[in-house]
Amino acid sequence: MSVRSQAYAAIRICYFNGIIPLWRSPLLIAAVFLTPFSFLFFLFVIAPHALFPYGVVGGILFTTLFTGSGMLNDCAYLRLERQLQQVFVASPVTPLAYILGMALSELAFSIPAMTLFLVILFLVQPIGAAAGVALVGVLLLTWLMATSLGFFISTLFSQLREIWPVGTLVFSTLSVLPPIFYPATEIPADWRWVAYLAPSTFAAQLADHFAGLGGAITTSIPLLNGPWFDVVGLVGFTLLFGVAALYFARWREP
Amino acid sequence: MAVLEARGLGKTYRRGPRPVRALDRVDLDIERGRLFAFLGRNGAGKTTFIKIAATLLLPSEGELRLFGHDVVREPSTVRREMALVPQEGKLFYHMTPREHVREYLRVRGASAETTKSRTDAILDEMGLLPYQNTIALRLSGGLQQRTLVAMVLATEAPFLFLDEPTLGMDPFARRQVWEVIRKVTGRGSTVLLTTHYLDEAEQLSEELAVIEGGHILYHGTGEALKSTVGREVRVQFAGSIRPELLTSFGKVFAERGRTVVLTTRSAVPELTEIALARGTEVTVGPVALEEAFLELVGRGIEEEE
Repeated sequence: MSVRSQAYAAIRICYFNGIIPLWRSPLLIAAVFLTPFSFLFFLFVIAPHALFPYGVVGGILFTTLFTGSGMLNDCAYLRLERQLQQVFVASPVTPLAYILGMALSELAFSIPAMTLFLVILFLVQPIGAAAGVALVGVLLLTWLMATSLGFFISTLFSQLREIWPVGTLVFSTLSVLPPIFYPATEIPADWRWVAYLAPSTFAAQLADHFAGLGGAITTSIPLLNGPWFDVVGLVGFTLLFGVAALYFARWREP
Repeated sequence: MAVLEARGLGKTYRRGPRPVRALDRVDLDIERGRLFAFLGRNGAGKTTFIKIAATLLLPSEGELRLFGHDVVREPSTVRREMALVPQEGKLFYHMTPREHVREYLRVRGASAETTKSRTDAILDEMGLLPYQNTIALRLSGGLQQRTLVAMVLATEAPFLFLDEPTLGMDPFARRQVWEVIRKVTGRGSTVLLTTHYLDEAEQLSEELAVIEGGHILYHGTGEALKSTVGREVRVQFAGSIRPELLTSFGKVFAERGRTVVLTTRSAVPELTEIALARGTEVTVGPVALEEAFLELVGRGIEEEE
């Protein structure tokens, strides 16, 4: 298949795996909203109001990371329970087109919630056009990183029951524990390095930066301070998981 | 000309506590445009063979070429030539039969015009038009399976792998599917089909192979396989009859509380007399592929399942 037909295949997969189910079951949107809005509401009630914009950025990132969890569950379900991935493997559809199509369909589920969070962010923390574009770039990288990781993990298991706890563990660790809903400076100084084990920390610090919020980790090494370090971290993890999804995922059973 | 060539194909699964040999040095050729059936019990190796040929599974040893291309080294080349109905495949629950066929064709790169005409045709041929706009969640199991087969047959791919395609379908639907499969092979596609329905293999296939324990036990036509039984008629008594009364006529065995004799045509009048003398109903028919299969495999398939 040519690059154009692969891109077209990905869009079609997004259409029938993302748009059609959303159109027929709009409640699916509410399911994506529920958790990040609950966190935001919780923060609004118990935390100082100065932390509210962090919660809004956290909501956007949580919703973006949620695409990875959706990708993991959907890909595993289609492969193990419905045997439908096999129908696409034994066809001219390339692994890249399939993965991209599935990732786009997960994005379709998250876009309504992401849009609402972005509107709230613009209301509570007005940001410029350039920063807005940069923020969208961070979200796109985060989506690629999360969905690549989700697909890669989904291929490692042969039982659906094994995947559900792993998915919950991985994506809760990525989207709740790291400084997503709060600034990294709230973590005790000696433990801040631990946050960098989670790729979402880089995404959160960049998103906070472009949203005009402070709170990024600073160290005594100047090279490690500032957004460039976070850019390198996020791009690095995205590449790592992307390569894992494309080259090490079990597109074919061993 | 062989479009599928397997040479010394082997597969050992190493997932459990001890390795399982699923395929053992299988050699097989399938000619272009053939309707080829793979028969065998559950776990005999049929699906493993199909999975390797359809690039879903890596073999442990040997080689399999499809249209001259190695399925291990050139998967993207061979994938352009194939389509697969997986065993126990299920639909996207939120999509209708029309959407399944249309979207699968579009994803595979068919043009809008081709998609439209093939979708209309296959839905009609498979008797799916009355259900074309019903979401899969509301379709019966048989209709869902018919939709899955329709979306794959609509591709008219040069090589079609159909792993138990009529599972769960009623006899009418099965016959409808058979017709469409015949049409597809008539247009030049090669079909490799696995089935547990021996009547299906008998009706459809031009050539078949029986696989058992990863080995091919038989490869040839269904007629030739039936001739290996050495008897031409199957006489079935509704009740149980003492076997010693019948053994002189041929091979005797019990099947679901009935007594069956595989015998020659000339023995039928005498066997009918025996049945009438005992007030037992008797049915006579030609030896079916099932007898030949059971003879060959050696054990009762029903007991195993």
